[in-house]
Amino acid sequence: MTISWVQAAILGLFACLCSNSCMAGQAVGNYTIGRPLVGGLICGIVLGNVPLGIAAGVAMQLVYIALVTPGGTVSADVRAISYIGIPLAMVAITAQGLNPMSGSAANLAKSVGTLVGTVGTVLYYAVATMNLVWQSFGWKDVHNGKLDKLTAVNFGWPWISHALFSFIPTMLLTYYGSTAVTALRNALPMDGVAMKTLFTVGGMLPCVGIAILLRQIINTPLDFVPFLVGFTLAASLHLNLVSVTVISLLFAVIFYEVEMARGSNNGTPSVADGPDDDDEEDI
Amino acid sequence: MENTTDTMKKLDRKTLNKSFHRWFWGALTCFSQEHMQTFGYMASMLPIIKKLYPKHDDQVKAIHAYTAFFNTNPMLGTVIVGITASMEQARSNGQNIDGETINDMRAGLMGPIAGIGDSLIDGTLIPILLGISLGMSSGGSPVGAIFYIVSWVLIAYFGQRFLYFRGYKFGDQAVSFLVGKQGAAIRHAIGIVGSMVVGGVLASWVNVTTSLKLVGSNGKVFLNLQDKLDSIYPGILTVAITFFCWWLMTKKHVSAIWTMLILVAVSLVGVLLGFFNPGLSY
Repeated sequence: MTISWVQAAILGLFACLCSNSCMAGQAVGNYTIGRPLVGGLICGIVLGNVPLGIAAGVAMQLVYIALVTPGGTVSADVRAISYIGIPLAMVAITAQGLNPMSGSAANLAKSVGTLVGTVGTVLYYAVATMNLVWQSFGWKDVHNGKLDKLTAVNFGWPWISHALFSFIPTMLLTYYGSTAVTALRNALPMDGVAMKTLFTVGGMLPCVGIAILLRQIINTPLDFVPFLVGFTLAASLHLNLVSVTVISLLFAVIFYEVEMARGSNNGTPSVADGPDDDDEEDI
Repeated sequence: MENTTDTMKKLDRKTLNKSFHRWFWGALTCFSQEHMQTFGYMASMLPIIKKLYPKHDDQVKAIHAYTAFFNTNPMLGTVIVGITASMEQARSNGQNIDGETINDMRAGLMGPIAGIGDSLIDGTLIPILLGISLGMSSGGSPVGAIFYIVSWVLIAYFGQRFLYFRGYKFGDQAVSFLVGKQGAAIRHAIGIVGSMVVGGVLASWVNVTTSLKLVGSNGKVFLNLQDKLDSIYPGILTVAITFFCWWLMTKKHVSAIWTMLILVAVSLVGVLLGFFNPGLSY
C-alpha cells in the first residue's frame, strides 16, 4: 500500500478539521472526525481499504478512549493520531502481510499510531501559539471599534495556522512516512526482540488510555468497585457492553435514590457542590 | 433608533440561533494558550450585542465585558453563553446589571462547568458510546463508526442547543440544576455507569497475556502460567497493568508519555525473559 500526494493532501485537510483547536466545531471536529474510530473509517475510504482502516481505527481508539484535555492541557492531539498514525499503521500492517482482523495487526497499529501521538502535541502548541498573532489583530479591532472584523479573527485567520501546522505536516509525514514504514519491513525481522517488544507494547497501550479515564472518573477508592464489577461481568461472564450498560443503569438508579434519600433524612439541605469539581487529582 | 423605555428589547429566535451556531462551530477555532476560548465567546456574543445596541459606541462598550479570559468545557459551557445572552438583554433594558456582574458570573461558572463537563461528557458519555460502537465495528465493519457519528452528533447538537436556550430562558438560575444537590446525585449515579462500562471496555478489548510455560525434562508442560491465572481471575494481568498505569499517573504523577515508555521497558524485559511473546513470524 502506498499513499499518493492527493491522498496525503486529503488526510491533511481532515487533520485541519479535527485538531483540538479545530476548524469544524469542537463537537463535530475534535469529538467526531477526530476520534480514531471515525478516523479509521475516513482513512479507509481515502486509502481504498475500509475494513483495514476500521480495524486500525478500532485498535487506536482503545488507546485513546480517554481524550480529556482538562484546562486546555493536552496529552495527545487527535489530528496526528487519526490522520498520521492510522494511515501509517495501515501501510505497516499491509507491508508486514498481517491479517487486518488479527490481534497482532491491532497491536502493530497501536504501537505505530502511538509513536506519532507526540507529534500531535507539538502541532497543537504550534497552532495555539500562532493563533496569538490573529488574536493580537482582534484586540486591535476591539480597541478601534471594528467589531465586524472579529468574525474573521475567529473563523478565517486560524486557517493559516492550520495550513502551516496541520495540513503540511500531515501531508508530508503520511507521504514520506509510508515509504519509510514499508522499508522497515526488511530491517526488522518479525521474530526479533524489537518487533516482539513492539507488539507486546501494542497490547498494553490501551491500559494507559483506560488508566487516564480512571483518573478522571475515580474520586474515592470505593469507585474502583463498580469498575471491577464491570470488568468481571465482561471478562468472566462474557457479557457484551450493551448488557453491561443496562446492568450499570440499575446500580445508577439505586445510587441516585440512596443519595437523594440520605440528603432528606438528616435534614441538612447542604448545597452539595462536588468536591470533584475540576481537580482530577488524588484520591 | 431611539431607545424608548416603553418597549422592552427582547432577543428574537433568529439572533439567538446565530449566536448559538457561532459557539457550536467556533468556540475553539481561534484557541491560544493565553486567551483560550475568549475569541470564540466574543464572536458568539457579537450578534446579540449588535441586536441589542443599535449605537456603535454602545456595542463597543458592551463587547468589553467579553474580553476577559474564558475557558470551560465547550459542550456544557454552552449554558453559560445562553445565560450571558439573557443577562445582556436585561442590561440593555436598563436593569441593574453591569459588565462586572456578567464577568463575575462567567468566572464563577467556568470552573465547575468544566469539571462537570469533562467527567460527564469526556469521561462517561463518550466512552459509553465508543464502547458500544467498537463492538459494532469489530471485524472491520463501518457500522459502529457510523453509529458513533450519528448518535454523538445528534446528542451534541441538540444537547448544546437545549442548554443554550435553557440558559437564556432561566438566566443564572439554570445552573443550580447542574451544581445543586439533585445534580450532584445524578452525576454520582452517572459516574457508576461510567466506571462499570469502562471496566467492561477493558475486559472486552484488552487482553494482556503471558506466554510463560515451564517445560519438564520429559518435554511436557507442567506449568502454563496463563491458564493458571485464568482459573483464578480471568484478565488478572490486564487489570494489574491498568492499575499499574493508574498508580504511576495518579500517585507518582508520571505523565502519560512516560507511562508508555515505562511499558516499553516492561515489555522489553518481559520479552527477553520469555514472559511475553507475541509468537509471530513471517
